Amino acid sequence: MERRFAHRWILWLAAIALGTAAQAEPAKPAKNAIAAGLVAESTIVAPGGTVTLALTMRPSKGWHGYWKNPGDSGTETRVAWDLPAGLAAGPIQYPVPERLIVSGLVNYVYGKDYAHLVDLKVPAGLAAGTRLPIRARVDYLACTDEVCVPETANVAADLVTGSPPGAGPNQAAFDGFRRALPRPLGSEARFERSANRLRLAIPIPAGLELREPYFYPLTDGALAYSAEQSFSRAGDVLIVETGSGANGGSLDALEGVLKLSDGNGLSLKAAPGAVPAAGAPLGFEGKQPGQGAAAVLAALLGALLGGLLLNVMPCVFPILSLKALSLAKAGGDEAGARREALAYTAGAVSVCLALGAAVLALRAGGSLAGWAFQLQDPRVILLLLLLMTAIALNLAGAFDLPSVGLGGRLASAGGAAGAFWTGALAAFVATPCTGPFMAAALGAALVLPVPAALAVFAGLGLGLALPFLVLGFVPAARRRLPRPGPWMARLRPALSVPMFLTALGLAWILGRQSGVDGMAIGLWAALLLGLTLWWVGRRQGDGRFWLRLAPAAVSAAAALLFLPSAGEGQAEASPIAGERFSEARLAALRAEGRPVFAYFTADWCITCKVNEKTVLQREQVSRAFANAKVAVLVGDWTGGDSAIGRFLESQGRSGVPLYLYYAPGKPPQTLPQMLTLSRVVSLTQKEN
Amino acid sequence: MRKWSIALAAAGLAGASALSWAFLAEGPADAASALADLQVGKAAPNFRAGDSEGRAVSLSDFRGKTVVLEWNNPECPTVRKHYESGNMQKTQAAAAAQGVVWLTVNSSAQGNQGYMTPASAKAFVAGQPSRRTAYLLDPKGMVGRAYGAKATPHMYIVNAAGTLVYNGGIDDKPTQDKADIPGARNHVLAALAEIKAGKPVSVPVSRAYGCSVKYG
Repeated sequence: MERRFAHRWILWLAAIALGTAAQAEPAKPAKNAIAAGLVAESTIVAPGGTVTLALTMRPSKGWHGYWKNPGDSGTETRVAWDLPAGLAAGPIQYPVPERLIVSGLVNYVYGKDYAHLVDLKVPAGLAAGTRLPIRARVDYLACTDEVCVPETANVAADLVTGSPPGAGPNQAAFDGFRRALPRPLGSEARFERSANRLRLAIPIPAGLELREPYFYPLTDGALAYSAEQSFSRAGDVLIVETGSGANGGSLDALEGVLKLSDGNGLSLKAAPGAVPAAGAPLGFEGKQPGQGAAAVLAALLGALLGGLLLNVMPCVFPILSLKALSLAKAGGDEAGARREALAYTAGAVSVCLALGAAVLALRAGGSLAGWAFQLQDPRVILLLLLLMTAIALNLAGAFDLPSVGLGGRLASAGGAAGAFWTGALAAFVATPCTGPFMAAALGAALVLPVPAALAVFAGLGLGLALPFLVLGFVPAARRRLPRPGPWMARLRPALSVPMFLTALGLAWILGRQSGVDGMAIGLWAALLLGLTLWWVGRRQGDGRFWLRLAPAAVSAAAALLFLPSAGEGQAEASPIAGERFSEARLAALRAEGRPVFAYFTADWCITCKVNEKTVLQREQVSRAFANAKVAVLVGDWTGGDSAIGRFLESQGRSGVPLYLYYAPGKPPQTLPQMLTLSRVVSLTQKEN
Repeated sequence: MRKWSIALAAAGLAGASALSWAFLAEGPADAASALADLQVGKAAPNFRAGDSEGRAVSLSDFRGKTVVLEWNNPECPTVRKHYESGNMQKTQAAAAAQGVVWLTVNSSAQGNQGYMTPASAKAFVAGQPSRRTAYLLDPKGMVGRAYGAKATPHMYIVNAAGTLVYNGGIDDKPTQDKADIPGARNHVLAALAEIKAGKPVSVPVSRAYGCSVKYG
């Protein structure tokens, strides 16, 4: 009896504790849960002009307001304006929202302070000093995860006509509000709908890094809000696939906002049309917890099989065949074979883990590294090129390595350490071969939690080592290997062919990365290495092997030192070197009497990239501009720079691309959005 | 013989890895579709739930009759908009006059806003005069999730053949303001009139607006 009583007490205490916890959850504040206010960018407005107003919304902790399309529930914000005669307010603009998932229902909300911008037109012909009281009644829904409250706020701002100052005190705040708005994509997207799938193709340059993209649909009923969105890329097209919504009828347009990264989005419109097949997957958005295990398992299995497949890649196979032959030579030594197989596996797995860990660490540090990131450094490519050349020459018989060296153990049967390094080498040289077909899947692994991602990288190494594990642990498999004999000496030169081809490929990559000079330096280093090795090979056996390698080592080091200077610049700079755009710089250049070509671009703008590639980066353009001493100013709007945004607006544009040509003493010329070579080149000719 | 086995092994390996990539690309299976939309034109899923009077009610009990399903949470402001204005009761009365069955479903989970025990539901129903057929309690959200009910009020109409013919909101003015009701198109009234006249429902899908269903 007493015990039951105590039990009840505990329950009571728990209930009270829970009750207070629930109380601590946001209760309805005495005032509005979301405080609304009205601010003008400038309280002094020019008659005949436009002033931007901000409807500022400040949710209390735990509360949220809604996007125009609220998602599975909720309502949009409505404003009833009370304006002096002649003034007209535009629609309220919504910043890029965030997603809120409560027990499977998806809402598009704002949980932090946000602002709707509204453009207000002021009629011409108002006398200076006219007072303009702006009043509005705002109706919106404020919710927590638990409860919703419809709220009303009466907001006011008082304006007066006059000549507005250049930049008012609200400038910085408005710059922030504008950055939060989605920017127009500019090109049209396409969508395709079947009974339960909706597929969307959005033109986005292949080079633009996307982190956790999400498509917020403005058109209601087109897609299922709670369905996962999977993203893939096929060249310059981003493909979104998700479940289609309840609106089964025909749909002639689909509008929405594509979130690129937090608070950074593009507004777009899609028309019905063909959507290409899914390309390289880009991680899984909207993943539900609990499915992680399946995804990890799938990625692990994929990595294991991928690693296995790497064994037959041209850059790995020769190394492996040598190792296999050494195992065959080992013959009956069971324990030795097992030890070697394990050491080899350890080598392959630790290099894969180290590369994976480095990628994760770089990403955690905010850098946008991907798998095989190390190959983006021309110095690593050069090292690989020299390594491949050396291995190829060794296979071709130009020299034999003495048994003391690291590489000596490569071909000899001795030592677990040798086997470990062979595994490490195999994994390292395998990375160039993993490139195109592994990068996507390993990219998917990067979005997994760190331990899972590392497991996937380890799986890759394990897959690579798997054939050797089998050979080491199954004597029957070993017996099936061909017997050692003179044919091995004949096979070795043949195996050098794929290694030479790999070296050739690396030289080409080096050329792409650091230009003709870089490639020449690399080939020069390879030649010097080859000659040295050949010379060493001729005098094999007199014991000073490493000493003789010194010239080759020195030349490689020198090449490494020289390479970066050749490598930088070329990869990034466009042939028409431009300065960063600013209105001050533009004014200064024009005051000097220089002709100016100003262009505005963004990494997500496909039209911009096409124009740059097919026209602006052509030699004819740079020559024509150089001859006419045209100054080039580049405005990069990728991050939504507000100064550039204001300039675009002043030119009557809401987005990029924009091409302007300022001939001295003449009004600026706006070029069409699709440039042609002749049009751009003729700009300078007209002037002469 | 060995050549063949090597070729076979290589082909198998390539195929297996291609399969595994395809699996990876596909991503985890769609568990999120637990709240998938129910498509109009498909058979309405049957269900069985207890009502405020302690009776078990099934959709199949009403085969041969038109059934309206209304998702309800009396504390939701949007629900109050339609009850305090009498709009929902008026729609229920019109349905009853046509011999249409009206089932109100409450899917609020225990501990969430709008949750009712059978006893509290009985008291609530007694205190709110209405022409509905039954007030169903679905605290586990089984019925709500089967229909993909998202908001309160979320309305569905199942025709006499058991086919879903309407999925959406009560009307076309998604606001919290009672003053908007007279100017709005009541989708349920319109659909019931079309069903009675033997015509297809002209607006079979609309946005269900309001508070989210308070699933557990």
